[in-house]
Amino acid sequence: MNQKAYYGKFGGQYVSESLMNTLKEVDEAFEEAIHDPKFMEEFHYYLKQYVGRETPLYYAQRLSEKYKTKIYLKREDLNHTGAHKINNVLGQILLAKRMGKKKVIAETGAGQHGVATATGAALFGMECTVFMGKEDIARQKLNVMRMEMLGAKVVSVESGSNTLKDATNEAIRTWAKVAEDTFYIIGSAVGPYPYPKMVKEFQSVISREAKKQHYEVEGRLPDVVMACVGGGSNSIGMFADFIEEKDVKLIGVEAAGKGIETGEHASAMALGKPGVLHGMKSYLLQDENGNVQLAHSISAGLDYPGVGPEHAFLKDSKRAEYVAVTDMEAMDALMELTRLEGIIPAIESAHAVAYACKYAANMTENQSMIVCLSGRGDKDVHTIADYLDGKGYLN
Amino acid sequence: MNRIEQRLNQNISNGVKSFITYMTAGLPNYDTTKKLVKAQEEAGIDVIEIGVPFSDPIADGPVIQQASFEAIQNGATIDKTFAMMKELREENVNVPIVFMLYYNTILHYGPEEFAVQCKACGIDGLIVPDLPMEEQDELKTFLSDDTILIQLVSPVSNDRVDQILSDAKGFVYCVSSMGVTGQAADFHKEVKNYLSMIKSKSKIPVMMGFGIRDAKDVSPFISDIDGAIVGTHFIDLMRTSNYDSKVASDYVTKFKQDLNNTNK
Repeated sequence: MNQKAYYGKFGGQYVSESLMNTLKEVDEAFEEAIHDPKFMEEFHYYLKQYVGRETPLYYAQRLSEKYKTKIYLKREDLNHTGAHKINNVLGQILLAKRMGKKKVIAETGAGQHGVATATGAALFGMECTVFMGKEDIARQKLNVMRMEMLGAKVVSVESGSNTLKDATNEAIRTWAKVAEDTFYIIGSAVGPYPYPKMVKEFQSVISREAKKQHYEVEGRLPDVVMACVGGGSNSIGMFADFIEEKDVKLIGVEAAGKGIETGEHASAMALGKPGVLHGMKSYLLQDENGNVQLAHSISAGLDYPGVGPEHAFLKDSKRAEYVAVTDMEAMDALMELTRLEGIIPAIESAHAVAYACKYAANMTENQSMIVCLSGRGDKDVHTIADYLDGKGYLN
Repeated sequence: MNRIEQRLNQNISNGVKSFITYMTAGLPNYDTTKKLVKAQEEAGIDVIEIGVPFSDPIADGPVIQQASFEAIQNGATIDKTFAMMKELREENVNVPIVFMLYYNTILHYGPEEFAVQCKACGIDGLIVPDLPMEEQDELKTFLSDDTILIQLVSPVSNDRVDQILSDAKGFVYCVSSMGVTGQAADFHKEVKNYLSMIKSKSKIPVMMGFGIRDAKDVSPFISDIDGAIVGTHFIDLMRTSNYDSKVASDYVTKFKQDLNNTNK
């Protein structure tokens, strides 16, 4: 057992033998890169000049007034390409470049990671292929168009449930075949080691900035830090710099879909058992025969049956708490944030906002919380419109 | 001695190359799987790999993915596959049988209980494609020589080969191409050097698999291997013949003959 690949009993490298040396190469290149000041300087250059960081820590005044506590929004929705995903993509694509790879592949659910990868590939002149479930292609047409405009090839994955889980399977299969000249850019805090560590490293800029920004305004640490959790990339980035600050409460918000009790949800933490999928051991939604169960959420980005291994560890060690909110609660919060603050959040991020409003009841007016607004809602307008019309949605 | 070791070593002593097929359990139903196992045993198959269907088979190409999906739709489960194995052994089927499955199926079952069931149902070996040597301890603790964990090596295993072989039992499974199962004879460019390197290092039989359809696919490498494994092509053959036992046994007979004629 390779201890460093584990977070407690979670993580590891559950991949075929033919990928083990590839993972070793990626791990070595990654460790070397993040200790190379030139690499980190280049990464931060692009985060500033290309992505537009740092992103504001916005005091949501009307929301705070309504819920009687201080609510700060970490505005990852203001990043270039509309979400936090670009942070990690730039880190990984610079690594790919450093390793001499000319091609990149990626999986995508909502399309945000696919768009971010296609963007990075255009920026660095790399050939890009994005695997996307047929179902997701139908519900995220706008992002498919953006990826194609950016020069990426979007491969429709038609196996299993035709969503993110299957797109990831197909990306891993392809990677096993082409790893010699191709880098696989994983978008969530999942996959075999070192991917969960890489994603955390490149997303940790979220919490580094937020911590500093909160200090500037409040002169202290926040009481609560909150983020939505699908695979867990924005949340691990939002938690990263606060994990060692034991007085800060960390809350991850999963998707309860139509309600945990209906079975149609995406709450791996609430109901999953430890399992192995996509190269990692973590909490996983499974049926009684050990087959992976379909997740359900109105948000394509949270529609994932597993969760990153470090989150599983944070839950077991009780450092972080994981809760779930339903589609309906998320959509109500989405509309509320839109009307009160003039910010249309991604449906994913609206899950965190929904729980923040609920959790505020436990807080005083002088306490504060930071909510990661991981992405903007432009990509979701069709889903939102259909929902408001009572037409339901795909999946 | 484990049935796999016994059979393959005996073949080596007799100067005979071995042949292994793969099929998905419960495709299209368990009665058919049983019938095909029996037909192949009679035709002289050396080892049969039985795939336990899983929802997310990341090491498999489209044919086995689809086979797995349909088997699950038709109700195949690990419990039923164990039950089928038990019946086969009670019906005096003695051919060595290996389960090919993904680690989640074992983990969900509980590795200890899984090992107990394997022994009770006469499963001689396990192939777990998403369980590289670093992750095998949890399972190996519970396995005995009755059920051995087959080691896989790939064309890019390089510096890992010695350690993998040091722990290998039964046979070493040489993956002959990169990626997934079923890429018709599209072998890795260095496949010949790789196979002869493995053959020179291995103390146990060396079997070549992935992308093989008939004996001539492996004839260029015949001196470096102790036999071949056919999965995807066999499933295609079964589907197109509507799972005809005669087609299965004819294929096995012919493959073994051709394999051993090439050899002479």
